[in-house]
Order: sequence, then C-alpha cells, then structure tokens
Amino acid sequence: MKKIINIIAFILLLPFPVFAGDTDISETMKNSIVYLQISYYGYEQYQPWKNRDLTEGFGVGCAVAGNQVITTAYNVANAAFIRVKKADRNDYIQAKITVIDYECNLALIELDSNSLGKPLVPLIFSEKYKKGAGVNFYWLSVGSQMYSGRGFLDRAAVDSSTISFSQILTFVAAGISDSTASGQLYCLDNKPLGIASWSNENKEAGIIPAKVINRFLADVKDGTYNGIGSVGFEVSRLLEPAMRKYLKMPDDLQNGIYISDIYTIGTGSDILKSGDVLLSIDGFELNPYGRFKHPQFDIISFDYLITNKTAGEKISFEIWRDGKKQLIETLVKNFDVSRMLVPWYELDRQPEYIIIGGCIFQKLTKSYLAGRGGDWQGKVEPHIYNYLLNEAFKPTGERKEIIVLSYCLPANINLGYHNLSQFVVDSINGMKIRSMKDIPVALALNPQAKYDVIEFEMEQPAIVLDRSQLNSAGLEIAKNYGIDKLSNINP
Amino acid sequence: MKITAISILLLLVTICAAKPDMSKSVVMIQIVKQPFDYTTPWKQTSIAQGVGSGFIIAGNRILTNAHNVSDIRYIILKKENVAKKYPATVEFIGHDCDLAIVKPTDFSFFENTQPLSFGTLPQVNSTVSTYGFPMGGTHISVTEGVISRIQTDAYVHTGADAHLVVQTDAAINPGNSGGPVVLDGNVVGVAFQGMMQADNIGYMIPTTVIEHFLLDVNDGKYDGFGSLGIMLFAGLHNESYKDYLKLPADTQGIVVTSVMLNSSAENVLQINDCITQIDNYDVDNDGMITIYGQKYHLSEVVETKQIGQSVNLTFWRSGQKQTAQLRVQLNRPVFEIARLYDNPPPYVCFAGLTFVTANRNFLETWGKSWISDIPHTLRYLMSDSPQLNKDRLRKEYVVLAEILPDQMNAYADEFINKPLETINDTPVRSISDVRKAFENKDCEFYILKFMNSEKPLLMDARQAHQQNDAILKKYNVPSWAFTENQL
Repeated sequence: MKKIINIIAFILLLPFPVFAGDTDISETMKNSIVYLQISYYGYEQYQPWKNRDLTEGFGVGCAVAGNQVITTAYNVANAAFIRVKKADRNDYIQAKITVIDYECNLALIELDSNSLGKPLVPLIFSEKYKKGAGVNFYWLSVGSQMYSGRGFLDRAAVDSSTISFSQILTFVAAGISDSTASGQLYCLDNKPLGIASWSNENKEAGIIPAKVINRFLADVKDGTYNGIGSVGFEVSRLLEPAMRKYLKMPDDLQNGIYISDIYTIGTGSDILKSGDVLLSIDGFELNPYGRFKHPQFDIISFDYLITNKTAGEKISFEIWRDGKKQLIETLVKNFDVSRMLVPWYELDRQPEYIIIGGCIFQKLTKSYLAGRGGDWQGKVEPHIYNYLLNEAFKPTGERKEIIVLSYCLPANINLGYHNLSQFVVDSINGMKIRSMKDIPVALALNPQAKYDVIEFEMEQPAIVLDRSQLNSAGLEIAKNYGIDKLSNINP
Repeated sequence: MKITAISILLLLVTICAAKPDMSKSVVMIQIVKQPFDYTTPWKQTSIAQGVGSGFIIAGNRILTNAHNVSDIRYIILKKENVAKKYPATVEFIGHDCDLAIVKPTDFSFFENTQPLSFGTLPQVNSTVSTYGFPMGGTHISVTEGVISRIQTDAYVHTGADAHLVVQTDAAINPGNSGGPVVLDGNVVGVAFQGMMQADNIGYMIPTTVIEHFLLDVNDGKYDGFGSLGIMLFAGLHNESYKDYLKLPADTQGIVVTSVMLNSSAENVLQINDCITQIDNYDVDNDGMITIYGQKYHLSEVVETKQIGQSVNLTFWRSGQKQTAQLRVQLNRPVFEIARLYDNPPPYVCFAGLTFVTANRNFLETWGKSWISDIPHTLRYLMSDSPQLNKDRLRKEYVVLAEILPDQMNAYADEFINKPLETINDTPVRSISDVRKAFENKDCEFYILKFMNSEKPLLMDARQAHQQNDAILKKYNVPSWAFTENQL
C-alpha cells in the first residue's frame, strides 16, 4: 500500500513537460504531417507585366481530412506550384490551394487523390490553453524524417500576421528549441494545439491556435467561405477624466473605449459613430484600453470578439452615446482586402495596370509602395502615403481605388512627360476615375477629340496624348521594353 | 617695339591689380554661437565656437557669410599681423543668400585697411584666388583654382533657397567661408560651401547675388529674395500638350501649373498659362532665358528684382497672347521649409502642453535622417502645404511639440507631434491663436482638435489654469506664452 502511495506521489510531483515528452508521438504524426515544397512566382511591382525570379520554399502541412492539409497562408502566398511529400512515400504528390485566408493566415490544400496512396489521418485540434505548460512541435523533412522540438506556452495574445490587418488570437510559445516555424504542428498533452506562424530571435514562436483553425474549417465546410469578422472602426484609449466628464459619463462607469474613427467597410461601420464609447461586446466589458477579461486567455484585445466570429453571425455592442447607454445588435461583416481603397496586399494575382502612351498607371496597394525597398514609409510621396495611412479602409462609391501614374517609359509620344511620376489620377477626358475599370471607359469618351487628357491631383501638370499615335506608339513601346500586354485590368 | 612697350605696361598694371595686399582687406572672424531649441523653445542649445573669414568693402563694412554669424552670441574681428581683437556685431544678415554685414564696435579697426571692390560674373575657366582662414590658422591662406561652371544651385544654409553659384576647383574648407574670391584684383565671389563627397569642388556666391543683398540693405533693413509665387512645368516639348493649350506651333515657353495662395500672381496668372517672355527675355521650353551670356532659368530675372519691384510677362491663355506686370513678393509657404536663425522661437506652454510653430527647425530635431523619420502628417504638410492649405488667413501650422508631465496632461501623449486644427472650434492659424484661446477662461473645457485625429484632447479649463503656474515653475519655463507680438 505504501508503495502505491509513493507511486502516486511521484506521478503528481513530476513536472508536466517531462510527462508529455515521455510519450513520443513522432511515429503517429507521420500519418498526419506532410512536407510541402512550394515554388513562388510573384510579380514585379514596378514592372507588373513581369514575373519575379522563381524562388523555392518549404512548409509543414497538417492533415484535416484524408486528402487535405492546412498550413499558413503566408507559406503559400504567390505559390506557382505546390508539391507534397508524405512520410510513407518517396514521390511528390501534386497539390492545390482550395481556400486561402490571409487574415487568419490559413490555407487549405488539397492533395491529388490519384497519387495520394494511403489517406492521411486527420488531426483534431483541441481548444485547450494552459499558460506555462510544456508544448512539443513536429515537422517532417523532405527525407521523411519526423523532427520535434520543445517549448512552453507563454501567453495568449491578439495580433496581426506579417501582412494582415486583422488582429487574431495567437498563442506565443517561448523557449522553443527550433525556430523553423512555417506551419509546424504544436501539441499540448500530445494533442494538436495549433500551427506555427512565426518565430523570432528571442526563441518565441507564434501559434495559430485551435480556435482559429476550427472556425476556419467549420467555415469551409459548406463550400462557401465567409471569412472572419473584420473590424470596421478604430479605437483610442479613454483615460482622460476630462473626456469622461465631457461625455457625461457617470463616475461609476469606468469601462469603455473611445471610437475614434469609422471605416466605410467592416463590422460596426454602419452603426457605430466616431465619438461613441464602446462599453462591451457580447456582454464582455471593455476596459479603457479596449481589452477584456477572457475566461481562458486572461486580458486580451477586443478585436478577438469580432475576428473570432464568422461573417454573418450576430454581435451586440453596448455603447455610450448622447449621454446614455444603448445596446445595438448587428451582423459580423467581412471584407476582402481587394475592397479596401488601398489594399494592404495583393497576392496570387498579377497587379493591375494600364500603359497609355508609355505612361504606366497602377492601382495603389501597400505592396506597390513597399516595392520602394527598406524604409519605404519615409520615402514614398506623402500625398500617396496619406491614402494608405488615413484612407485605406474608407472606399466609397465615388472612390473605390486610387490610381497612380507610376512612371513613363520614355518614347517620342510622351516627350516632355518623362520625369512625371507618382501622381494620383483625378480624371481622364473629364471623367472622375473611381477605379482601374473606369480607365478604359474614360478613354473611349469624346470619340471626336484629338487628345486623351489625364489630369492629376495636387495641381500636377496634365498629360495630353495624341490619340492618333496611341496604337502605333503602344506597339512600339511594348516591343522596345519587352512588354507582353499593355494592360491588366481585372474584370 | 612701341607695341611691346605698351604690352609690358599693360601687363604690369594687370599684375599690380591682381595682387592687392590682402592682409589689409581680409579679416578673421572668431565666433561664438548658440542656437535655440525648437522643441523646448525657451532653452538655448549647446555653445559652439568657430572661425570664419570676411573682407572689408566700401563704407566701412565687413562682408561675410550669414552662416558664420547666425545664432551669434559673440564676435571678434582680427586683422592679419595685428594683435588687437575687435568685438563686433551683425548689422545685416540675409540667411536666404548666406550673406551678412558685420561691423566692429570700434571703428579704429578700419585704420590702415583697404576695401575691396567687386567685379562681374567671371568667365568659366578663368583663374581665381580664394583668401581666408581655412581650418583656423593665424595667417591668411591663398589657394588658386579655375572657375568650373556657373549654375543655379541650393544654398545649404537655409536648405530651401537656390541662387546662382560659381563652382571652382580652388580648395574651399571650413574657415574659408566668407572669404573673398578674387579675379584681377576684384572680388568675384564669396566662398561659402563645398561638396562633401567630391574633392576640390568649392562654391562661391557670385556678385549678382552680393549686389542684390547690398542694394536690399540700403534702406536699413533686409527684405530678402522674392519669387513670382507660381509653379512651372516644362511640358511644351510635347507637341500634343502645346496644341492642347492652343499655342501656335512655333511657340517656346513654360506652363504655369500652380498659383500660390495670397501671392501677387493670383490676380495675374492662371493654371495652364504659358509664359513666353519675362521682361525682354525670351523663355524657351526648358524655362531658360539667355542672361549674362549664358542660358539660365527665368528665375534669374526675378533674382535681379527687389521685393515690390515687378517683372513684365508675356503669356498665352486660351489661344490669346497677353501681357501683364507681376510684382515680386516673398511668398513664403505656410509651412516654413527654410531654416530659421537668430530669433527665439515663439511658443505657448499651457498646462504642460508646449505648442510651437511647425517649421524645418522643429523637424530637424529628429536628427540626421529627419526627412524619413518625422511623423507622416508633418512630412505631408512640409512637402505639400501650398496645395493642402486652402485657408487664406493661415499664417502657419502649430504643433504639440512636448509635454511637461503632470497629472493634468497624463493622457495627452497620443497627440504629441500632431498639428493643431482648432481650439473650441476656433481655427488655429498661428501660435498667437493658441495664446488667445487659452486666455479665454470663459468655458468649461478646452477642446483641442488635431489634424488626422477624430478624437479631441479635452482639458478642464478651470483645472488647467489652476495647474499652469505650478507646472511652469516646476519645469523652469520663464513664461507661458512667447508669441510673435512679444518678439
């Protein structure tokens, strides 16, 4: 009897990580984890008719069905070709992306069933969270070897990924023994916890947790992907006693965050107003920093209460407006990045452009500006940067996209305009330009007119081009500068 | 034989004229400087000492560079081979052309000296001598070089002005600044700046600019170089553009793309006017005219005018040829992009919030790479204020530069470096407007709205006034407001 008691005491005293590590699940994981080989083939931002040089990368795929794996969206951004290697086979299996969502940084990849062989064993992601607990992570090498590493769960945070604008739930593992990231499978108590999205020099890794993955998989299930809730407003902390007094908030009302800006897209954009105080979302009280107490994850940002939902779900906001509390209910909204006035990224497709008389017009995106290289924020023309910084989330019917004159490919037709660049297009042939699609329409206006006239914002000089020369000049410019097509405007 | 004699005589005259005794004309200027702090504007920054050069000109004046004697606290003049030090003051200073006139307090300084006279714009490839005190030293140094080219270029002292400069390969080093560049015994320029990345490229201010400065100060004050208040575009190289503007095929000229708010050009010129002549100079498609025997930008005509004088313009508008007179004015942008010197910067420091005028000096407090490091809104205004500002009454932009921490302003840090738009819905168009707004105690709150920020900064008016003196005292601020009216 004493012996039994001793054994129980021993088990209870053992620190958890050692316990978890005792059972090696590497062999089992070989049935569910695959190696992804990705060839990337994006486009040049400043010569958008040209592909960038081919590059190669690798990632980890985690099975969610017999022939489906998930990985991070960032792993397969601008992928031209994806090959998959299973642990039990030497040959590559062709694969394609079926759903990709850069906002929650997840991609669903389907493996070619004909060359799949034995189906994969789907993983069930567990929504457990234990602060401080040991975690193991796994990835498969190209040589079919299952690697593993260790760390511990340090915190739950609400953060954006490398390119996304949405703040999503992220677990951070600290003291990790390998910093490969790229979709490695993290396990807690030998149960799948999430997949790695980033790592840093401080031996930390970001994990896309089960909650985010399971929402994504549930959303995918019916064949229509709705996406996560997008936040449709900006907040600013509400600490100043003078401001609370001005807003006539009673002394006992200490919570709430100030709504400092409203977008034209996203959740709450149609019902919230600048100057409202957001007191709670779905019953969770927000503190003056916009954070709330989550039963599992402690104090985290309010964004989670929106980005953890699927577009179309109900959401309720309790606000302070006109000196009183109000409860408003609405539906969670999602917007695709392409709906932004200045999209934060444009991936997996050719950037939109049109070349008129050698003058290159492009749609303004963050990726376009980032093409200027390191410290681009301090280099780009402030008038253009202002659209990204202050207007990006505010498209309107009159202004859906910002079109810029990128630069001119010197030719006789544009003599005198060679040095013009980085101007924002206001109108063409008298028609206000709302988006790329307007340009061909505007160019067809006034058929009797001798010239196309392109006017810009900020009192920049206009560009006047002789219509009778446009076709021949276009052909010559395309030949001279090696351009296969003079425009790429998405339908 | 006779001819030879005359030739020798002429040669002797030339040699005599080319070698005046420079020790009687070139002076050493020892200086102590202390600029103002543009973030904490009631303070002055560190003290610096240096040496520059200057030279005596007619009328018992000493000409030197403005950058030698800007933000000056103390000046001493020294003559070659004379032990006595002569304290001096700045009589006139033109920062935009980097020239200044210094005068000793004791006029016995001019005993046994010789003023230098001025020549004209030198020919390229002529040999000139530069005199001064490079890198300190006790004796006048002379270096010889040739004139490499003459063109319009930036004057780095203000960072925002451009005038004609003469480039020479004579070494111009720190300390040379303000010294004369001499050709055939006459001053043809004032040495003033060099090029860091290049060997032996030095620049001098030509006599065209010096003459403008000397003529300007004749009335007892310096007004500066003016402009026409327009932006121009060299677009007529394109025949379609020319035809679109209804210009005759053989027209040469330059097109107006922007007319500055409150400039004299507002009533004279319009966008898309094409200027073909300025005074009697024909303007070409690059905006160049033939002046001083060379092609220079048409602004060279404006450079010859004093503020208030006019130029005659011939221009085309909607197919019609027109003429008009246009007055030359200062036309400074509401966001001052030229570096300022000498005057203490105006400010308002209320409830621990320090407001200053947004200008280049303030932006340069961000350090070497300030252009890329400054906050976006300030960079936007600096670069585009002529297009962005539609308010005729705006004098300047005001920015919250610093917060002197106190419970009163504990949560105001999110507004730092933002330009102020209104206080209690009254537009802030100058730093004086901020002072006036806070002088008004007849309100419960001060509601401060900043650009690109929907959320206002709120202050309890009564509390703010109560706390103000204690904050000023704690942080040794001499006065809560120092605005233009008090300068």
